[in-house]
Amino acid sequence: MRDADIIERIQRELGGKVAEIANPAPRRFYLKILPPDLVPATALLRDRLGMTHLSTISGVDKGETFEILYHFSIPEADLNLRTEIPKDKPHVASITPIIPGAILYEREIQEMLGLTVDNIPDGRRLLLPDDWPDGQFPLRKDWKHVRPAEVIPGGKS
Amino acid sequence: MKFQIPIGPQHPALKEPISLRMTVDGEIITDADIRLGYNHRGVEKVAEAKNWIQNIYLVERICGICSHSHSTCYVQGVEKLMELAPPKRGMYIRYLVSELERVHSHLLWLGVAGHEAGFDSFFMYVWRDREIVMDLLELISGNRVHYAINTVGGVRRDLDEGQKAKILEGVATLRKRSEYYLHIGANEPSFVARIAGVGFLSLEKAIALCAVGPTARASGWPRDVRKEDPYAVYDEMDFEVGTADSCDVLGRVVVRVKELLESYKICEQILHKLPPGDIAVKAPRKAKPGEVVSRYEAPRGENIHYIKSNGTDKPERLKVRAPTLGNYPATVEMLKSGFIADIPLIFASIDPCICCAERAVSLVNIRSGEETIVRLSDLRRRSIEQHKNAPPKRNAVWPF
Amino acid sequence: MLNKLVRWSRIKSPWILHLNSGACNACDIEIVAALTPRFDVERFGILLKATPRHADVIVASGPVTRQMRERLIRIYEQTPDPKFVIAVGACAMSGCVYRGSYNIMGGIDQVIPVNIYVPGCPARPDAIIDGVVKLLGKL
Repeated sequence: MRDADIIERIQRELGGKVAEIANPAPRRFYLKILPPDLVPATALLRDRLGMTHLSTISGVDKGETFEILYHFSIPEADLNLRTEIPKDKPHVASITPIIPGAILYEREIQEMLGLTVDNIPDGRRLLLPDDWPDGQFPLRKDWKHVRPAEVIPGGKS
Repeated sequence: MKFQIPIGPQHPALKEPISLRMTVDGEIITDADIRLGYNHRGVEKVAEAKNWIQNIYLVERICGICSHSHSTCYVQGVEKLMELAPPKRGMYIRYLVSELERVHSHLLWLGVAGHEAGFDSFFMYVWRDREIVMDLLELISGNRVHYAINTVGGVRRDLDEGQKAKILEGVATLRKRSEYYLHIGANEPSFVARIAGVGFLSLEKAIALCAVGPTARASGWPRDVRKEDPYAVYDEMDFEVGTADSCDVLGRVVVRVKELLESYKICEQILHKLPPGDIAVKAPRKAKPGEVVSRYEAPRGENIHYIKSNGTDKPERLKVRAPTLGNYPATVEMLKSGFIADIPLIFASIDPCICCAERAVSLVNIRSGEETIVRLSDLRRRSIEQHKNAPPKRNAVWPF
Repeated sequence: MLNKLVRWSRIKSPWILHLNSGACNACDIEIVAALTPRFDVERFGILLKATPRHADVIVASGPVTRQMRERLIRIYEQTPDPKFVIAVGACAMSGCVYRGSYNIMGGIDQVIPVNIYVPGCPARPDAIIDGVVKLLGKL
């Protein structure tokens, strides 16, 4: 399928759910979707276009908002779904009812960025250690780490 | 009564710490839980403080076995951001190292699989032959691991005729040896019987849980990033994607052996078609604002990097998802309704690269609620003992 | 007399425990490669043991992550005296590329005392064997 065919197919299947589609490079599509439409759009794409393979979920801290990208792929193209949620009410719906393999990626963005994924089946920490203090979210832009002083055994510090 | 057993972070079998808690009922595992985080080094945060060139060396050290795959995936993405077109010769050399790395990784894994199944002499033989590949890689790049041959815009070192001849000779020797191992593996009924039927993962589950790489291809999932998203050189090469239908550890061994043989073919094609010319173009210091998604077929599966830049010389966001992380939900599924004795084998069959995601194994005894730490070496010994006198399984036959 | 015998056996056949505290795995593969026929560290009597309670020497690699810190200390305490620690690789010495990350303590010597440092990224198997032999010479 050529890129133009894919754009036309997505617009036909999703209708008003997709706010904009960008095609910056061959085989790469970025779809902008509003947060309430996320789960229905994912379900439609899975059923109509066979989009079952989720590669990962990335989160970017843009200052006032969080931008979350869902990187899907079908044999003909890579579809990246983008949503933005405000930082003061950081909630996004979980897509695990549709894509069960998304669970680990959702746990990771929850702990790294400090947002909440609603209806997540298992919301424990994934990567950060057990004794990590609450409320510290490493991937936020305003979070800085101050390294404690090192002790060099047998020498000058 | 149900037991839960923890296999602690430090164990000798898997060279890396990871924690799996498994709920067992007698000998059968009913549930498994993975505890990651022992190997979390905060690479994504560190990458935001280094510039594009320094990040090549950081990203390479995410993993020691698939280091070139992370480095290449990153550099592919940055080159797209900077709109650079590296010269053909540079691309060919880069992907030659990729295929040699795939060979080295699969040979490593074959040795580990043999070791887990109790076939230690196979392990020693395969790792001796892996040294041939390590020598070739050292010839090309100067180091056995962490080749650092990529730079933004191409590669750093060139190949001359003497090196080319040595590589072709090495690949020919390896091909002969690999076919010999194939012959041994296929004709050793206890080895085949040990691994057939273990670690079952059906195709529907593999698709739903987003498994990648040979783990999913052994269940009949025919996708490979080299065929779908052919970056640079792969659309000019003639090779096939290996799949298997048996959905178990035997299928995964078969898929990896098929990939090994295809890699030799690709290496020879690259060397015969190597064009003359430059090996790199000059890259600008700053990248234009934008974002890029870069995918790559590492030996373990699909590797994806998402890079976002804001016009400076440091990335705004670098997101890395290594293939082993994508296989974890599938591993949990495979462990359910398996035997305790099969844990090392199932776990080794996804080719875990724990540094790409760290783990240890712990089994918790549901019945009494007490935790016993079972070392994977004990589990392995137990499993070998248990299967030594078992009758060979009826349909455990090597498929080709 | 018994002391001399014990000391001779410790030098002639040190048993090692391989520990990975958050490394990228390259040094660990090189440690395992030191056992394979080409480098063959077993000719020195060195045996790779599974449990800290049997080991004389801890061969550790990797920068120490916060999660691994207590485990590392616990394993060090479980190893019976006299014990020696070899830190393999640039990560174990000072943290390598990950210095400054929020989850890394630094080198292994921030957590347990180290006797021998083997540099390299990754340290070649020949260098690891050299480090072990130098340790035996010091005993």
